Amino acid sequence: MGLAAFGAVATLALAACGGGSTSSAPTTHAGFNAATSSVVNPSTHKGGTITFNLTTWEDSMDPGGTYYASNWNFTRYYATPLMTYASCVGSCGSKLIPALAAKPGVSSNNNTVWTYTIKSGMKFSDGQPITSADVKYAVMRTFAKEVLPAGPVYFQTLLAGNAASYKGPYKNKGVDLTSVTTPNSTTVVFHLNKPFADFNYVAAIPQTAPVPQNKDTGSTYQLHPVSSGPYEVQSATLNKQFVLVPNPNWNPALDPAVHQLASKIILNINPNANDIDNRLIAGDIQMDMAGTGVQSAARAKILTNNTLKQSSDNPITGFMWFIYINQQVAPLNNIHCRMAIEFAANKTTLQDAYGGPYQGSVATTAMPPTVIGYSKFDLYNAGSHPSGDIASAKNQLKLCGQPNGFTTGMAYRSDRPRDTAAAQALQASLATAGIHLQLKGFPSGTYYSTFAGVPTYNKTHGIGLATGGWGPDWPDAYGWGWALFDGQSIGTAGNTNIGMLNDPAINKLFLNLESATTASAQASISGQIDMAVMKQATFLPAVYSKALLYRSPALTNVMVQPTFGMYNYGTLGTK
Amino acid sequence: MGTFIVRRLIASVFLLVVVAAVTFAIFFLLPRLAGQTTYGLAIQYVGRTPTRSEVLTVEQQLGLNRPLYLQFGNFLKAIVVGKHYTAGPNTVYCPPPCLGYSFKNQLPVWPQMVSDIPVTLSLAIGASIIWLVSGVAIGVLSALKRGTIFDRFSMGVALAGVSLPIFFTGLILLEVFVYRWPILPAPTFVPFTQNPWQWAENLILPWITLAFLYSALYARLTRAGMLETMSEDYIRTARAKGLSERTVITRHGMRAALTPIVTIFGMDLGLLLGGAVITEYTFGLHGLGLFTIEAIQNQDLPEILGVTMLAAFFIVIANLFVDILYAYIDPRVRH
Amino acid sequence: MAAPLEMTSESAAPEAILEGVGGQAIEGRSLGKIAWLRLKRDKVAIGGGIFILFLIVVAIVGPFLVQNPNIYHPNLINPTLSRPNGTLGGVSLAHPLGVEPVTGRDMLARVVNGARVSLLIAFLATALAVGIGTVMGVVAGYSGGWIDTIIARLMDIFLAFPLLVFAIAPFGLSGNGLRISLLIFIIGFFAWPYMGRIIRGQTLSLREREFVDAARSLGARGPYILFRELLPNLWGPILVYATLLIPTNILFEAALSYLGVGIIPPQPTWGGMLSDAVTNGFYQIDPMYMIIPGFAIFLTVLAFNLFGDGLRDALDPRSSR
Repeated sequence: MGLAAFGAVATLALAACGGGSTSSAPTTHAGFNAATSSVVNPSTHKGGTITFNLTTWEDSMDPGGTYYASNWNFTRYYATPLMTYASCVGSCGSKLIPALAAKPGVSSNNNTVWTYTIKSGMKFSDGQPITSADVKYAVMRTFAKEVLPAGPVYFQTLLAGNAASYKGPYKNKGVDLTSVTTPNSTTVVFHLNKPFADFNYVAAIPQTAPVPQNKDTGSTYQLHPVSSGPYEVQSATLNKQFVLVPNPNWNPALDPAVHQLASKIILNINPNANDIDNRLIAGDIQMDMAGTGVQSAARAKILTNNTLKQSSDNPITGFMWFIYINQQVAPLNNIHCRMAIEFAANKTTLQDAYGGPYQGSVATTAMPPTVIGYSKFDLYNAGSHPSGDIASAKNQLKLCGQPNGFTTGMAYRSDRPRDTAAAQALQASLATAGIHLQLKGFPSGTYYSTFAGVPTYNKTHGIGLATGGWGPDWPDAYGWGWALFDGQSIGTAGNTNIGMLNDPAINKLFLNLESATTASAQASISGQIDMAVMKQATFLPAVYSKALLYRSPALTNVMVQPTFGMYNYGTLGTK
Repeated sequence: MGTFIVRRLIASVFLLVVVAAVTFAIFFLLPRLAGQTTYGLAIQYVGRTPTRSEVLTVEQQLGLNRPLYLQFGNFLKAIVVGKHYTAGPNTVYCPPPCLGYSFKNQLPVWPQMVSDIPVTLSLAIGASIIWLVSGVAIGVLSALKRGTIFDRFSMGVALAGVSLPIFFTGLILLEVFVYRWPILPAPTFVPFTQNPWQWAENLILPWITLAFLYSALYARLTRAGMLETMSEDYIRTARAKGLSERTVITRHGMRAALTPIVTIFGMDLGLLLGGAVITEYTFGLHGLGLFTIEAIQNQDLPEILGVTMLAAFFIVIANLFVDILYAYIDPRVRH
Repeated sequence: MAAPLEMTSESAAPEAILEGVGGQAIEGRSLGKIAWLRLKRDKVAIGGGIFILFLIVVAIVGPFLVQNPNIYHPNLINPTLSRPNGTLGGVSLAHPLGVEPVTGRDMLARVVNGARVSLLIAFLATALAVGIGTVMGVVAGYSGGWIDTIIARLMDIFLAFPLLVFAIAPFGLSGNGLRISLLIFIIGFFAWPYMGRIIRGQTLSLREREFVDAARSLGARGPYILFRELLPNLWGPILVYATLLIPTNILFEAALSYLGVGIIPPQPTWGGMLSDAVTNGFYQIDPMYMIIPGFAIFLTVLAFNLFGDGLRDALDPRSSR
């Protein structure tokens, strides 16, 4: 495995991973987009402080309860999951490598049983050895939604045994989760309720990072987690600051994806996004942890100043921004009314609203290009009519019995400037076809839990459209689309299938996808799902997101990690 | 004077209870009157993806089904004695003053606010001293030199100070003194006990931003007040008595002119102690203002409730102080 | 430049006596008339007053004269930088004040339409606050006793609440009409104690003064004293503070827009435009987007302050003008 190269001090920069992709020669030159194709400033220099800024304490710093890509990236400093993504650029970075595990999971029984072995010699930051029981406990506590409300629910839906009725170790004290067994102290076995070929991806989620049961303090665990990674938490104040220092009990040879270079890592919460950009460019801080790119002002500054531009990167993030079209709100229950919206939408002004070409390219499919199985198609003439195809829209309106248009409500996140701009842009463009939108803004913190994500709320308040954004949990159509398009994912609150799509054919395709075993089968089924969803017109794609990231010249080993769509935090050091 | 103070103290305590009652009514009673069920109310307190069982738990924890007077009684009791909440593997004790428990953050509200208080205090008190001294001084001088260049210029600047939005002033100062010519560091809060020099260095720009606005207001008010007072008969009398001009101005003139200043100073300082929202946001200082914004954006009702109570507390205290000061300055008020 | 028969507050009654004398009666001038004469002579104040009238006209008639403020012009924007092409934010014949970043909407149209909402909120809320505050303050200060105590405690209670929290409450309501009304009501309702306390304090000081005793000894009763004796002496702080409340309210609406609970887009407001320009950093790439609404607010404040100052000087019986 060429990945052993990471352990060697001198050749840190090399990315000769398995998988056959070409590796880039080590480079030390900066340049626009340099970090998307190479490692910038490769170095093994130790010491220094890296200061991160973030606008808000996202979800939780507890690896068991977070759904933000930036957190899945950052928690690798102190939480090592069973598997992780290789720290290299390009398609190399989408490959899984074992982290806590000694090798990738071994499946049996037609992919319903997955067995992992923990590397020997792994220790927690307090010196205790890491055992399989710790991994099992980490998984068990993710069932406690009252303590860890955010975070993916794959274990709840995939595990067999008593997973369906298990409520977590706090409510069900002393109850065992029979779906996960630990035959010895280094082996952990997952028993699934159906075949699932992608399970190694699930093992890469931070939720599999070990947690010692006797040190678990539930909701306050995030402020002093016991570390299994290169750094440990020195101090943490909720919503304000998080400070990491090197973990003396970490063995670098056992964990190739992350490094222990800086002697201190500080995360400061600063709600003023523009101030973060100013501080970043001025050099007062080294990284914006959100990883979604700079705001408009900094973007203009960077793109018009050549020196700054040479220190920036513009990766595809793997995210999409889009608008849900809710088929439960009349007259959108008629497919032609929905298609009218798809035709009438002005994709140019939408793209402008999301920040222009450096923040995303116009989208016409239900899956971004980074997902396996993507193919480009354009059902609603966005390519030929970049300002919207009003004529076709009007035709569709006649077909759905609303020749003079109709009125409906649109939900958006009012504290997100891009959402606000997008809602207004869509309102203006649909108005030319006679479709009138009444905008309703909601705070992003409760957008999914209390408003747009509650189907009964949308129905009662006539909310037919809602803005949304999404990134895949892992780069295939299941990891991307199940929570958006599968009928089973519709929830009474926190719903991410706001289009209320429950098409039997599409649901069947997802089932087929779960049991598909070859890459080409997966790609083919994914493509079918994409086309079927777009035909149902419950999804209005806006842009495939890109981000303009500023790369602080003070940092070393900077690379864009494709799976996160932002810089890889685990490899960073200072000059 | 003594009885006056005691009376006002008692009134303040009573006032705080009333404020607690009104706050409580707004958060717990009004929604019920508007048709909200206890379940619906509990949803707003629970975390991000509420399941039915969690909502029911919260409903029970907050006692939403009990009669209102009992709920209010518990609420008051919690402030004085503390309360236990069950969340996760153990029961959390919320020590007095227990201003509520945030189910979203899974932490009691008061401890989260405690570290913000020194920031807001530093910001408010520092700025208030600057604006009081500069505003009154400029106002007095302008009144005495009425019609001169000094008067016109200072009132012109005061006009600008009053009409420029705070964030505008703050941004200009940041742009000039931190990013263009790095004379000052990008502001972060350094506690006074840790390093007084850095504490002041980081706060100087926010102080000036806040003080500029209020100083302008106070200058104009002082000038207006002084002009009125200085043309009073008793001033002529004082001068005729042979008192020095300085005594005339300070002992007789200012004392009367400053009474409205004292009134609004109390209100302004009290309000600021609840958090200078825009200034804190512009400079990235974690004070009560930022706390309020985060609570509002997260729709975290217990935190909004908690910070409202705390802000109300500061305002009541500030006004108490002002009333006492007012009575000291103007004995006619001590009825 | 005093009028020949300068009225001082110490002599409210002699007007009646002078009228009684027959022959070439020296026409006693009411305070109002004298004030108006003085005001007319104050060019600066008149200037302010004219600008205020102009603003009112713009707010009422303006939206009919300018183009639609909600039309997007993406061709006028550089999509990479999100800023308008051309100088000064895209100034051209078709768009005399340029266009907005990101959307390309006409700035002149947005400013004129914004005037309507911003001024409406500012005027009405201020009027409400000043009205309630003055009445309550004067009544409290003059009556004393338990009336005063009740009103003073009422003021304390209202003062104790952070306005921001309550302005957030109606965010769930849809419809700008309802939101604007509620906003006016909330601002006015929570701002009155600020005014009330000052007026009460002033009244407390004033009521012990000799001219009040003099008026009482001449047979004047409560309401007469309140409105003819005390009120004229209160114009000073009332006006100074009222002219400051107006921009405060415009900027308060900007704060609400920043928090995402202001007026529902796409309806423009000066505060919303300013907040957008500042918090989204547009001021760095298109300064005009901040300068234009900022300048509009500044001019409004200036006009009110100058007019207010002039009015106060004109009404002040002891003014030397």
